[in-house]
Amino acid sequence: MNVLEITNLTKKFADFIAVDNMSLSVAEGEIFGFLGANGAGKSTTINMIAGLLRSNDGTISILGKNSAKQSRFAKMNIGMVPQDLAIYEDMTAYENVKFFAGLYGLRGAELNERVEEALEFVGLQDKHKSYPKSFSGGMKRRLNIACAIAHRPKLIIMDEPTVGIDPQSRNYILTSVRKLNEMGCTIIYTSHYMEEVEEICSRIAIIDHGKIIAEGTKEQLKSIITNTKDVWIEVKSIENANLESIKEINGVEAVFIDENLIKINSDTGVNNLNKIIEHFMSSGIEIRSLQEKAPNLETVFLTLTGRNLRDQ
Amino acid sequence: MKDILWLIQNTLRITFRKKKNIIMYLCMPLVGIFISLLVYGGDQKTILHVGIVNQDQNKITTDTIQFLKGLENLEITKIDEGHVQRKISSGDLDSVITFEKGYSDSVLAGEPGHIQLTSIKGAAITAYVKSYLHQYIDNIATISYVAGGNREIFERMYQDFQHTEYNLVTHTLEDSSKNKFMTNQTIGFLIMIMLMSAGNMSEIILLEKENRTFFRLLSTPINARKYILSNIIVNMIVMTIQVFITLTIMKNVFHIGINMSFGSAVFVMLLFSLIAVGISLVIVSFSNSRSAAGALQNLIITPTVMLSGCFWPVEVMPKSLQKIANFLPQRWTLDTLTKLQDGNEFSGLYLNFMILFAFAAAFFLIAVYRFSRNNTTQNFV
Repeated sequence: MNVLEITNLTKKFADFIAVDNMSLSVAEGEIFGFLGANGAGKSTTINMIAGLLRSNDGTISILGKNSAKQSRFAKMNIGMVPQDLAIYEDMTAYENVKFFAGLYGLRGAELNERVEEALEFVGLQDKHKSYPKSFSGGMKRRLNIACAIAHRPKLIIMDEPTVGIDPQSRNYILTSVRKLNEMGCTIIYTSHYMEEVEEICSRIAIIDHGKIIAEGTKEQLKSIITNTKDVWIEVKSIENANLESIKEINGVEAVFIDENLIKINSDTGVNNLNKIIEHFMSSGIEIRSLQEKAPNLETVFLTLTGRNLRDQ
Repeated sequence: MKDILWLIQNTLRITFRKKKNIIMYLCMPLVGIFISLLVYGGDQKTILHVGIVNQDQNKITTDTIQFLKGLENLEITKIDEGHVQRKISSGDLDSVITFEKGYSDSVLAGEPGHIQLTSIKGAAITAYVKSYLHQYIDNIATISYVAGGNREIFERMYQDFQHTEYNLVTHTLEDSSKNKFMTNQTIGFLIMIMLMSAGNMSEIILLEKENRTFFRLLSTPINARKYILSNIIVNMIVMTIQVFITLTIMKNVFHIGINMSFGSAVFVMLLFSLIAVGISLVIVSFSNSRSAAGALQNLIITPTVMLSGCFWPVEVMPKSLQKIANFLPQRWTLDTLTKLQDGNEFSGLYLNFMILFAFAAAFFLIAVYRFSRNNTTQNFV
């Protein structure tokens, strides 16, 4: 059964089409990765799924019910972990979770039990009487998650839940996401960290200019560019690098620059490594290191969208 | 409804957890009472400190001193003759009455004398003592005159005079103008505090937007309408408490007569609280941040409160400003209260009530229109 079913969804802001006739489905038990550069339409789509924005056209179904017509049912089954921390600084961790869980109709002993369960899940049970202002960034992120899961939603939307936190907290959150999934929750996960998406998501959609341009498991996505390889060349300075002339080398499909790292996506059938090196030497660019890599999700994303995931 | 109650409960808990909010919302309205007490002086009675030098140890002298002691506004102190100048010049005493030897005899003879009144504070002080003292002494002198020098008859008549019982019915007439001024001053200040409180409470909406908790709230089964309604109810609860506290303390603690029924005053002020919420929602609907709302609030509340006569009677302002004041809800609120103080029937003020309702309705409609036009993720209601 599909927990989420999006059909021909469109959202316009004046003349700008943020989401363009998008269709998508997420099956029960999936961790669904949602990838897109800034402005691709990812947040607008998530906001519409969460009931924060109305679409201009199309339908969203949660557990088989139209969310526009049965918004209460849809919202009762969704847990939203927003990108920005959405917690009350002047309420304790316990009070924060209790307040949000209470909005889903929970009361009395059941409410207290769920709150304790959520805090324990995110590892904040010892800090339940503390105020968020005394928390680290990672702890605040975990509280942000606890507020979204206490009512045991079927679908959890996590919008960049690991932004700006230490590796330890990030690992904790990623483990929590897996655990929630094992407990039966379906998860929509967005992140700017490609390795996170690659690590935990069972299926991924890449969105660009309001449309889904690729969708599938990570293996399926990588197979789109299976006849290519990546050559990563670290240079001292990219000042004299002429990207257009690199693209003219036989077999080169795409070139991207990430600070001093030049990523060249090339046809596996063409042996052009010598010509690439020669190009750099003749341009007076000093090469510091060179690696040949099998394409990863980032390469897929770069190839399909022509943009880096962190591009503004 | 349960959702709304849950929101109300939470907002009240967060709000009144902070001491500064308790001071702002519950104690500040009382400042108006203190200001009006300072300005209009309250019910203070002037006490005159009078020293007595008794050089005529006689029954009539003792009775006269006893009579003076019985007067309400006099505080009598017996002093020695040698201390008169010092006590008067230092200001310890307002005046000194000296009963010289021969006072009793002069009264008995029907020609009162041998009595001196010393003061450096002038007629304002001495006139009060003199008027009572003269009346008393004249009475005794008249008895003596009637007794025609017969000591026995005088004693009998004098005894009767001292022990006569009167059936006296007194009615206290209050100076209602003073109470009216004090009530207007206090309510004027309360109006300003209510507007500020409503502004602060409505700013919670902007605070929640800035803190992003508003977004999370709307992802729960709560919708924007329920959220705004809960904010309005919290606002009304706070202002109802303010009105009750102010009017109760004004009436029962400071005994300032409001010259209208408590219920009428509460009704008018609660009507005004609806207007205050409406104004605050309009301000919030036109603001993108709390700082913008704060600036707009200052720009609107302070001048309108001053123009409408919350701090001083509107009659002291130029006619042109008085005309402008007629377009302000605060003016109509004060006008309604003044009419009630002047004895107008509650039912006869339906026009005032309708105008106040119209103000509230207009503000709410503007706010609703603005909110409905802001339906984007950025503005979000």
